[in-house]
Amino acid sequence: MADALLALAFLCSFSGMGWFAVAMKPHWVQARGDSANGEPNSGRLRLLGTIALLASLAACLGADHPSMAFLVWVMTLSASALGVAMTLSYAPRALYWLTRVGRSRDTRRCA
Amino acid sequence: MFSSFRSAMTWVHTWFGLVLGFLLVVIFFFGSLSVFDREIDRWAIPETRFEHQPMPSFDARLRPIFESIQPDPNELAQARERVGTLPEKLRLMNWSAYTTHRDPVLTLYAEYAVPNPSDPDDHVHGHVTIDPRSGKLLQNDRLAIGSAFFYPMHISLHVQWHDLGYWLVGVAALVMLVLLLSGVVIHKKLFREFFTFRAHKHTQRSKLDLHNLTGVVALPFHIMFPLTGLVIFAGIYFPVSQTLLKPLAEKHEQIEAQARGLPHQPSGVAAPLSSVDAMVVEAKRRWAKRGMPGEVGFLQVTHVGDKSGYVSIFRAGSDRVTLVGQAVHFEAATGRVIYEEPPPSAVSGISEFLTGLHLQHFQHWLLRWLYVFGGFSGCICIATGLVFFVGKRKRRHAAEGVHGARWVDALAVATVTGTVIATLGILVANRLLPEGLDQRATWERGAFWACWSMSLVHAVIRSAPVLQARISPAWREQCHAIAGLAVIAVLLNWVTTGDHLGRTLARGYYPVAGLDLALLATAAIALAAARHLRAREATPMPEERDGFSVDTLAVDAADG
Repeated sequence: MADALLALAFLCSFSGMGWFAVAMKPHWVQARGDSANGEPNSGRLRLLGTIALLASLAACLGADHPSMAFLVWVMTLSASALGVAMTLSYAPRALYWLTRVGRSRDTRRCA
Repeated sequence: MFSSFRSAMTWVHTWFGLVLGFLLVVIFFFGSLSVFDREIDRWAIPETRFEHQPMPSFDARLRPIFESIQPDPNELAQARERVGTLPEKLRLMNWSAYTTHRDPVLTLYAEYAVPNPSDPDDHVHGHVTIDPRSGKLLQNDRLAIGSAFFYPMHISLHVQWHDLGYWLVGVAALVMLVLLLSGVVIHKKLFREFFTFRAHKHTQRSKLDLHNLTGVVALPFHIMFPLTGLVIFAGIYFPVSQTLLKPLAEKHEQIEAQARGLPHQPSGVAAPLSSVDAMVVEAKRRWAKRGMPGEVGFLQVTHVGDKSGYVSIFRAGSDRVTLVGQAVHFEAATGRVIYEEPPPSAVSGISEFLTGLHLQHFQHWLLRWLYVFGGFSGCICIATGLVFFVGKRKRRHAAEGVHGARWVDALAVATVTGTVIATLGILVANRLLPEGLDQRATWERGAFWACWSMSLVHAVIRSAPVLQARISPAWREQCHAIAGLAVIAVLLNWVTTGDHLGRTLARGYYPVAGLDLALLATAAIALAAARHLRAREATPMPEERDGFSVDTLAVDAADG
């Protein structure tokens, strides 16, 4: 159970960091593949990122004693941030799925 | 002198980073290895490759061994230098044993009073290491490479003269904090480039990106570890309780002991020792009652054989960040509970948390690996900083005929790849040296320092291309050496112990399998790096290729 929660914590933390990354236009373009693919709805993406990071904290708290959980969470955030940066550098399209929920309404209408 | 606060911070970041960067790479690297020090010990001492054992019965197994411990001959010789002649039998003060969920073997410690009129607390130690399953004494002269070589390297660089090593590490930790703060100040796009790593851009650009990335994403780790390291050794850096405020500290100790009902001094009246096993049962019952059942982590008998003697039993902190805690103290002669430690105050709780956070004896494999990630991020951050420093200056130095960049580059090679070579060198020596070799541990240490020295000499000899603003081939050649040594270490482990990866993985014995896999991964990364470097050596300098100028970079404000 604890292992599953920690895996979930990692998944949430990676997704959260990913959403924070694609909320920025240059990374949005990297993940979408070309610059003509709409604008990011940064507010929504950051909200999703925040929720995912909080879910990650909740999963850590479910797996461990609070003092330990907090440490695990902080380190998970660091590792996820590096993972997102490396993915953006070497395989940015792997983060495409994160952009599916964060396209700005205006650009969707234009498309 | 400086046009702005940011340019002043750039100067601080550049030059303090250069002076102490070499030391910081070493400290971070061996700190990262120390996360798995017990596992490295198992690799290095094959007869200890068995599962972790809980604290064995004190009455049946540990007590007879404690009674047979003798003071360490080296410490006795040093004590004689301090006080002259020593009595034949020194008064026994304390016995103690500490174990964690990762220790298959158990080391037992004893302290003996040295009659010294100028220092009433003078004492010497004795210790033995046992197999807790049988009580069999294990050889004490085998080098536990993880906990007795890499870990001391992390905390004191093996420089023991006047504790200079601790001081150097302390200064480096303090400077690390300064570097982090100054780095945050001079990083113009901290949030905008939080996830940025342009691996395929100009070399200097990608180096700086990697420097910023590894520094920023693991910033909480990079801040907390130097800080908690300083907190742990605060007693060395501010030894007021042993100097200016010694009388006050002693009085505080006495009052504290009195408040707890724990005798501060022996009475001088002999008394037998009651069953410690019964005390362990009672301590465990009390922990369970507090909703935190657990095993014994630390056990100490104070004033052994005296009427004032007492036994302290601490709970192992495997499931907590703190190392040990929830102590229950018993009267040694009767087994009566004298005092049960209440939950720590806020200040003690924070102190214990900070210490436990750094020393990480908890049972949490994911967090341990995340610590390794944090430590290696620190190494990469500092190493890329050094390489960036060289890259930024070598064309100018080449044009001016200045050797500065060449020397820094050679030192960077010896610090980055050289440290890894030395680490692999000691592992290879550990498996190659004959079992019965006299002073075997000294030879192993010698192999480490010899490898490191050779790496430096090689880096200096091969550094001439830096004078032409090119890459030193020493980087590539030492990467090849790393790959070769790492594979040799794995093969030697197989040949000398029979524990090849197939067997250790099938058995689920991860202390050895994990290190073998890490060595193979190191070899693969080193080979990839060597190939990349060969390609880079064959191409013109990026600055020449596409006109990229480091002057456009954020950190290039005012440093020379």
